[in-house]
Amino acid sequence: MKNGRGKLRDDLLVGMGFALMLAALYMALVYAPTEKYAGAVQRIFYFHVPLAWVGFLAFLVVFIGSILYLWKRSVIWDSIAWASAEVGVVFTSLVLITGSIWAKAAWGIWWTWDARLTATLVLWFVYVAYLMVRGYAREESQGARLSAVLGIVGFINVPIVALAINLWRTQHPTALIFEGGLAPTMLVALLVCVVAFTVLYILLVRQATSLKILESDIENMKNLRLE
Amino acid sequence: MENLGYLFAIYSIVWAVIFGYVFYLYRKQRKLRREMDSLRDSPSKQEPD
Amino acid sequence: MSRMFASVFAIFWKDVLSEIRTKEIVTAVLVFALLVLVIFNFAFDAASGTTARIAPGILWVAFTFAGILGLNRVFAVEKENSSLAGLRLCPVDRMVIFWGKLAGSFTFMLVIAAVITPIFLVLFNLPLFLPRLALIIVLATLGFTSVGTLFSALAMNIRARDIMLPILFLPLVVPVIIGAVETTTCVLAGGPWSDMLTWLEIMIAFDIIYLVVATLMFEFVIEE
Repeated sequence: MKNGRGKLRDDLLVGMGFALMLAALYMALVYAPTEKYAGAVQRIFYFHVPLAWVGFLAFLVVFIGSILYLWKRSVIWDSIAWASAEVGVVFTSLVLITGSIWAKAAWGIWWTWDARLTATLVLWFVYVAYLMVRGYAREESQGARLSAVLGIVGFINVPIVALAINLWRTQHPTALIFEGGLAPTMLVALLVCVVAFTVLYILLVRQATSLKILESDIENMKNLRLE
Repeated sequence: MENLGYLFAIYSIVWAVIFGYVFYLYRKQRKLRREMDSLRDSPSKQEPD
Repeated sequence: MSRMFASVFAIFWKDVLSEIRTKEIVTAVLVFALLVLVIFNFAFDAASGTTARIAPGILWVAFTFAGILGLNRVFAVEKENSSLAGLRLCPVDRMVIFWGKLAGSFTFMLVIAAVITPIFLVLFNLPLFLPRLALIIVLATLGFTSVGTLFSALAMNIRARDIMLPILFLPLVVPVIIGAVETTTCVLAGGPWSDMLTWLEIMIAFDIIYLVVATLMFEFVIEE
């Protein structure tokens, strides 16, 4: 299974992840200055934005993993794609939830059809559909192949959806806009949070991937036994 | 500063969801390990068709 | 090259013939689309002054739902008759099957549009001669059917096929729907070409990109 050095690296990664999350919390809650107009609630931004970026990273990994799977047909690429989609959906769901609560806190409404939130919602649907294809497939290899196609087609859609929704929003602007400028200290805090969440993503995907590979190994063993 | 309630809600939800996913992974790993072990310990338990 | 065209046409014509003989889908989908239009009338109270603003949305929702019904059938027909194995055995490039099916579903949706649109314009008391609307419908239908044909094949073999198709399809065609509604609004208001240009460009780009992508991806969907 895992040799000593591999275990040490894993533990280091987990330790680093924990430390980074702690640092991120500090940066977001203590280090970053309070925003002038929005007050303390604006600190949600330091989790909301990194979750969005890492969610996007997750879907990029799904895209690459899907291409590589269709090319090489190796269960490893399939597992990486699936794991990344899972974690991506978790993170993107959090983006939507935190975005909603932020809107409630800042403007008193639970949802605003602003460009980024809307595009994120559409993206969320695409990757939930990815997971559903896996679930509804009649067998593993079919699920892997079909969801790989969706992983590719869906990701290509991302820039188009973003462009279209952006244009739609600029033509029908709402009164509420989600962003302002960034002071340098805010930028630093944001970057720390982005790194922290990226490491978290890596940890989760590694774990989920090895589980899927394990699952596939067990399936193979069972099939061999039956012969 | 009354808005702090929302801030707390956000952070706890993020915490809860991530932790929930970690927990789900952990339970799955336990189940798979058990399956793997049982397969190893009982060779040729299945009759060939 | 001409052999490919012939094969594409053969697949297309087979579907057209079987549809002409049974008339089963076209009539059902037409009636459904009309119903959707009417129900939206009740839902949004078309007698009031907001009609002009929501009319394009109503038209495109009706199209989208009707389109989904039609797309569900594109490969369901093959599955029911187990004729897909036969198609696979044909010594043709996989993309020929895709283009044959695409031609079929595209024509089908255009037929539905040709009937629904005049009725819609009448129901909402809008001007009847709108050539620009025809262009929009063609572009949008191309976008719908290129994505829809690919996913119809994808969903063909998985469980809950009929509900998975819209779940897969709708998020991806959001740009088409937004573009169609925006341009239709402009046309119904009698606005100039320049207002529509950007959206038309987006829709054209979408169509081209997805025609290419779907053609490339189709062989993976259909392999066994």
